[in-house]
Parts: sequence; C-alpha cells; structure tokens
Amino acid sequence: MQDPRLRLLSVAVLSLAAFASTVGAAAALVWWLLFTPRTKSLPRPGVLLPLVAIVAATALVSAWGGGAGLSYFFRMTVILLLAAWAYAGTEDGEVLTVAVWALGNRVGFEVGLIAEMGIGGLSVIRREVEQVRVAMALKGIRPGLRTIVPLAVTLIVMEIRRADETARLLVVRGYTSGGKICPRFRTDPLDVPAGMAAIIPAILSALPLSDVFILVG
Amino acid sequence: MRVELLDLTFSRGSFSLRGSGTFGEGVHLVSGPVGSGKSTLALLLAGLLRPGSGDVRRHGVLTTQLLLQFPEHHVTSPTVAGEAASWGLIPDDALRLAELSARADDDPFHLSRGELKRLTLACALLRDPDLLLLDEPFASLDCVTKKKACAVLEERDSGITIVFSHERAILPRVDTIWEMEEGALAARGSVPDAIPSWRHAPSYLRYALDQGARPENIRLSDAREALCRIRG
Repeated sequence: MQDPRLRLLSVAVLSLAAFASTVGAAAALVWWLLFTPRTKSLPRPGVLLPLVAIVAATALVSAWGGGAGLSYFFRMTVILLLAAWAYAGTEDGEVLTVAVWALGNRVGFEVGLIAEMGIGGLSVIRREVEQVRVAMALKGIRPGLRTIVPLAVTLIVMEIRRADETARLLVVRGYTSGGKICPRFRTDPLDVPAGMAAIIPAILSALPLSDVFILVG
Repeated sequence: MRVELLDLTFSRGSFSLRGSGTFGEGVHLVSGPVGSGKSTLALLLAGLLRPGSGDVRRHGVLTTQLLLQFPEHHVTSPTVAGEAASWGLIPDDALRLAELSARADDDPFHLSRGELKRLTLACALLRDPDLLLLDEPFASLDCVTKKKACAVLEERDSGITIVFSHERAILPRVDTIWEMEEGALAARGSVPDAIPSWRHAPSYLRYALDQGARPENIRLSDAREALCRIRG
C-alpha cells in the first residue's frame, strides 16, 4: 500500500477490529493475507518470536485464570502481523506528512514530529539491541536473567539521552513550535479497494456472532 | 599461532572486500583511509561477520578479543566499575590502567569518549587474548594517552595483535604492515623492509625516507633516530 494515509487508517481500523473480537481478528487476518506482502513484511524471527512469546505467555496466564487465553493470543498475534506490515512499509517523514495533512502545520506538525521521533527511536533501539548483543558476545556474556536488568537500564538511559540530545538540537536549530511542509502522496490503484476492504473486519467485529451467521446464512 | 585469510571476500551494498594472507605472532598494523574496509576486516577476523567466500582459519588461537571502533558500542552496564566487571576483570585493575579509579560509580555514558575509549582499551588489553584485534584504538585519545597505549601494546610479548588504524602521528612499534585500499588488503611485509612501500606512511616517515634515512620502525622516534644517524 503506497498511500500512507490509507495505510495508517487501515492499520488503525484493522487493529481495533482484531482487538474487539475473534471474528474481527479472523477477518483482519484474511485482509492481511489478501492485501499485504504477508511474510515478506515480517521482521526476522529473532525480533518477531520474542514478541509472540510475550503474547503467548500473557495468554497462558489469562487462560490459567479462566480468561479467553486462546482468543487473546489469536487477536494479539493478528495485531502484531498488522503492526509489522505497517512498520515495514513506513518511510521516513511519512507520519509527519500525514499528520500535517490531517491536522495542519501547527498541531499536525507537532504531533507528526513526535510520532516521527518515536518511530525513529524504534529503529535506533533495534540497532542498539544488536550492538549490545555484539558487545555481550565479545565479552563472553551469555544472555540470561542476570544480564537483562543492567542491559535494560543501559538501553533506557541511552534512549533518554538521545531524546535529550534531539531536543537540544531542535533548540539550537531555532525550533519553537509548528512548521511548514506541503504533503504529497502517491497512491497505488489497489490502495483504495484495500482501504475500503479494511472496513469489513471492523463491521464484523462490531456485530454479534449470531447475527453474522444469520447474515451469511 | 597464526590466522590465515584464504581468498576472503565480503560484500555489502556497493562495498566489497577481498584479502588473503597470514597474520603470525607479533604486532600487525593494518592502515588505510577511512572507509577502506578496516573495520569490516576486523569484524570478519573476529567472526562477527561471515565471509561471502573464502575463509578465516585460526591456528592455535584459543581466545579472541575485538575492540570496537566506537567505545560506546561496548557498554552493557550502568556503572564504570560494572562495565569493567562485565569484561570478566577485577574492576580496580582495569580502572587503574584506564586512570578512572575515581569514576567507578559513574554512568559510563557520563565519561568523555576519550575516557570511555581508555576504559575499553584497558579492558581489552587486560584480557590478554591470543588474538587481539584493535579497531582504531587511538581514535578519541589525546597524545599522551596514545603514547601510553602504544607502550602497553609494545609490552605485549605473545599472541597476535592486529591494529586497524588510520592514525598517522603516534604509532606503536610493529612487526608487519598491511594496507587496505578500496576494500583490498595488501601485505607490505615485515618492518623495516616494508616501510618504503607503505603508501599511507606518516609524513615524518616519508620525510625521513626522502632524506635517505632508513628508520628501524614506524614511530616518530625511529624516524628521528634514522635522520640523526645519517646526519651524524
């Protein structure tokens, strides 16, 4: 999907649908299979599997406590797939452009800039985790429970420091508030049908399951 | 003890690296301009990158230590003492060598880059591995610290030490010179015979050679002594 406006809107609607009900999640999964590059948009297993493992652990705890663990696991996994697709397709500056298009040069620019910094931070964190992994290998440290806390502290401190540096840089460059950009978007012929199809899971997730069967039947 | 590069190749984007040769015991200098592939070669030798073709074979090398170019990439602990301990060392020893004993409880990121470099360099040296790979070990250091680092390196009397550096002012005594040029590793040979063919030789060595002097090694003091010999 080329148009970032439709991509962001689709991922928001589909994520809500997947979170709201299992039917919504199933429909969102079908949408993901039809309109995305599927497995090509997924991060490498080293990144994806730990996230799935966290979801699975939470689902297990939920099931153990009498909750809908399996449903939770399914819904959250679909949300993860959608998030991975949206993240893989996002290019630098897109969120800022969309925010300015939607909310204007003052509020939109502020919101978009914060969102861009957040997304940029994600890729930086990924790089830093990789650096820490290399550093641990060089020092002969085996990953384990004992090493997680100091590593997490180190990564958090690095992120806080980076945010501080970015803020100082913006001040040095004379930034006070708002900005001016002219949003331009490319749209693929398939973008609009895909965007419209994203509404279907949202509708399905809002309907009671019995009504769906009546509709289908 | 030796490390062999067998028709090694590695590619990433438009950059490609190739090299063959044997690193024996002693101190090797791999010089070359920024972006020529020195860091990539260091990562290949450390086994952190896989070659596209060819092989890196270690003979008799039981332990390997790579010092990364950017010292902050080594940090895994929230305190300076903890950072030294994370290398498997007694923190006091490392902090003493790095002259950072008073900063033991500080955040490593509150050190200047030069101080952090001193710490990581001290830790790498104290581990005393069979194969010591130092990627730009003199970057961010002041002249006094560079000289001290050179002295410590020269005291290492066993194992293979490979220094990857574009430093052209303060260098340690070395046994062999290699050069990286646009991704190609070239062996210049043993010192002092290799010095005249060293294309990235520091200006003081080039001057000494132009004057007809034959320095014994690559340090400024070697060039000075060689000049004194011919001038009487």
